[in-house]
Amino acid sequence: MAVCALTGGCVTDYIAVAISGLSLFLLLARAVFPFLVQKAPSTKASGLSLVIIQIIGSINLILSLVMSVNFLKWNQRQPWQSCYIWAGSYLAYLVLLSVWAEGPLGFGLLMSCRIVQAFQLYHVFVKRRLPPVKPFVLLILILLPWIGGAAFIHINKPLNHQCHMRTQWVIPVVCIHAFYIAALIGVTRAVRHIEFRFHEFKDLLQGIIVSSIAVGFWIGAYILNEVHEDILWVQVVSRFLLLVTASVLVLVFFSMSVSQPLLSQISLRKRESTEFVTMGQALGIPGCGLLVQTASVAGVDLHQPLDKLLQDKRFRQSFMDFADSCLAGESVHFFEEVHELGKIPLDDPVRRIYMARHIIENYIVTGAEMEINISHRTRQEILGTLDLAHPDLFNHAVNEMMQLMKMNLLKDYWSSMNFVKFKEENPRQPDSSEPAGWDLSPRLSCVRCTDNPFNHEQLHKCPSGRKCDV
Amino acid sequence: MFAELTRETGQNTYSMISMLSLAFEGMGSFCSRQKPYSEADAEENEQAAEIERRIAQETKAEQHIHKLLLLGAGESGKSTIFKQIKLLFQTGFDEAELRSYTSVIHANVYQTIKILYDGAKELGQNESDSSKYVVSIENKEIGEKLSAIGSRLDYPYLTKDIAHEIKTLWKDAAIQETYARGNILQVPDCAQYFMENLERLSEADYVPTKEDVLYARVRTTGVVEIQFSPVGESRKSGEVYRLYDVGGQRNERRKWIHLFEGVTAVIFCAAISEYDQMLFEDETKNRMMETKELFDWVLKQACFEKTSFMLFLNKFDIFEKKVQKVPLNVCEWFKDYQPKASGKHEVEHAYEFVKKKFEELYFQSTKPDCVDRVFKIYRTTALDQKLVKKTFKLVDETLRRRNLIEAGLL
Repeated sequence: MAVCALTGGCVTDYIAVAISGLSLFLLLARAVFPFLVQKAPSTKASGLSLVIIQIIGSINLILSLVMSVNFLKWNQRQPWQSCYIWAGSYLAYLVLLSVWAEGPLGFGLLMSCRIVQAFQLYHVFVKRRLPPVKPFVLLILILLPWIGGAAFIHINKPLNHQCHMRTQWVIPVVCIHAFYIAALIGVTRAVRHIEFRFHEFKDLLQGIIVSSIAVGFWIGAYILNEVHEDILWVQVVSRFLLLVTASVLVLVFFSMSVSQPLLSQISLRKRESTEFVTMGQALGIPGCGLLVQTASVAGVDLHQPLDKLLQDKRFRQSFMDFADSCLAGESVHFFEEVHELGKIPLDDPVRRIYMARHIIENYIVTGAEMEINISHRTRQEILGTLDLAHPDLFNHAVNEMMQLMKMNLLKDYWSSMNFVKFKEENPRQPDSSEPAGWDLSPRLSCVRCTDNPFNHEQLHKCPSGRKCDV
Repeated sequence: MFAELTRETGQNTYSMISMLSLAFEGMGSFCSRQKPYSEADAEENEQAAEIERRIAQETKAEQHIHKLLLLGAGESGKSTIFKQIKLLFQTGFDEAELRSYTSVIHANVYQTIKILYDGAKELGQNESDSSKYVVSIENKEIGEKLSAIGSRLDYPYLTKDIAHEIKTLWKDAAIQETYARGNILQVPDCAQYFMENLERLSEADYVPTKEDVLYARVRTTGVVEIQFSPVGESRKSGEVYRLYDVGGQRNERRKWIHLFEGVTAVIFCAAISEYDQMLFEDETKNRMMETKELFDWVLKQACFEKTSFMLFLNKFDIFEKKVQKVPLNVCEWFKDYQPKASGKHEVEHAYEFVKKKFEELYFQSTKPDCVDRVFKIYRTTALDQKLVKKTFKLVDETLRRRNLIEAGLL
């Protein structure tokens, strides 16, 4: 017993190493799984790189733990057992993964992601403004102290010959862990009174609880391992616990973040349940997305101005189909979503903010998939607003879109097939006249392309299959 | 994500539209719906067979149709060229269609005066010599009223009274000063023309003239197309062109990609008078620089390796007047311009300079294996019908010659 405690090779040690090997294997399987099963999970490139960093960090941690703390029995201390070499061998992430052998990068990353998410939620729901800084930039900023600490320790090399840190270094290490958890708790407290609709608060709490337990275990095993170097069975047991906890936590952290890619935890949108088609339905706005067949036989008065006409669901649907077929559908979709936003009462700012944020991300932001045709000023007004729940937030944009639709699309609509269909399905009083002459619209068989862009399929390919440089 | 409902109906409607539209073009009349129930099936089968035949014919015919795209940045004159082609080679505008532009023209008037009045207020606050942008007290009230009307969803009909008020405000010195600084505001090019014709536009039974329709400004959204034959309907052997008009603003450009296949020629419109103006959708970007980048991007598209490029250097009439007041150097792309003379020679010199810049850009952006594609530059003023007709005839000739060369007959 005494021998194996010092030089490694105890049964428990081998079990621990086996467990860590298993956890690494599961980690890799979990990482690769989404890409094998789904065709192409929607992961942004920055999210992907974070995932890769976390995998490498986890592998590094486990391996360095195994090598530096004496789990395996070697006859003499191999040169490649040196803690520093294991850290230094990872080229791309030298500074990041440097010697902080017992400080998991995954932990730091996860905490920082959660902090960024909480911060964004705070900004959007409490201060009611769009977050000023991009999430990725914020993530890097929050991760910097962590990296700084790792670099500092690497420089000062306070590890003794058994890769144990001197006692005086334990306290700052524990402090940094605790500081991150405290930051997360602080920001979560600031948003605790908001009634989130998509389980964001639950996620944050989950993050806090898991990380606190992890750190607690860690510190416990660590201290036992460090402090009681002389009590052998404590050494063995604490070594075992350390490695097993590390393996389990690495897996848990990773699976918590890889089931939805890390960066997606920062954006609100990813929380939409798949059974909801529209944000309106997800938020529970009455009468959304349903084509209500009203009992009234009386048709729509087609001489009303367009904004009144669009209140009628059947007309709106017909007009929307027409607009979609000539690649101008974003105007009508935008109008509909703002209309739904208008249905949310003013004393429910949380839902209003969800909807407003959804509309901004889909229609207003430059490069959005259904970006609408509005002037620079209107766009800047919306993006720089001081109150996301304000009832008049989109008024100017709606005005401009109405003008666009009235002067551009509406004329073509009257002479389109969509209108003919609409008239057939909604017979009107015999004495009401038609708004325009019956003539073939220039938008009829608009675009002979294979897919309608409002089906959100691949937009950036030539229909012939060759990729156009965009 | 709104896709589910719209997708189904959209696709169904779309396929139904294309089928029925072919039936229309062929048959010219729509079969009556009031059929006796017992005959319904047989009729339907016959109809379906007829439609199939027509589709087959159309598909064969389509291979002889030449696809033309009108591309360009926002407000470069694409839709005006489109309207001109409609006027020249199709049936033109009948009275109903002319009347439908009345609301558009009135909207332009209200929007213009609102932009000018709001612009004057803004310049009055921000500029150093703000006194010249301060509207006189009598006209301030009119200005406020017109600005409020301009923010409404529905504009009132342009009556004589309102027209008179607008004219008064237009003549105010501050507004004229603001108009002179119109390049930093988004003042449409038709402003002067409509303001001068206000009496005519506000007649009770006003029917827009063809010229009014050509001046009317509407941002295009989505895609519009017409099919025409430059020789006239009677001659079958004439070329058939299908012309597509698109929106030019940045958000509209993502829709362009759907049109890029099988294009015979791209007519790229570049408004050369816009070298001192900023984009509608991004007031920090110069319009000429945007056009330059856009032209570069279009030239580099893989789909356009064999496509002919016709560059229309548009808005020459405005360019003529502007170049004598505002030097070309204000635009970064033209910063190495040296003014030579003044008057008419200056205009020609400036125009040649701009043309050379575009030529350089073309040859820079063209890969060596695309060098044999046709590239021609035309000076146009989209509002001038004769000029557009002449220009288009040249385009047609070039494309026909190209067609023959490709078929190996020349």
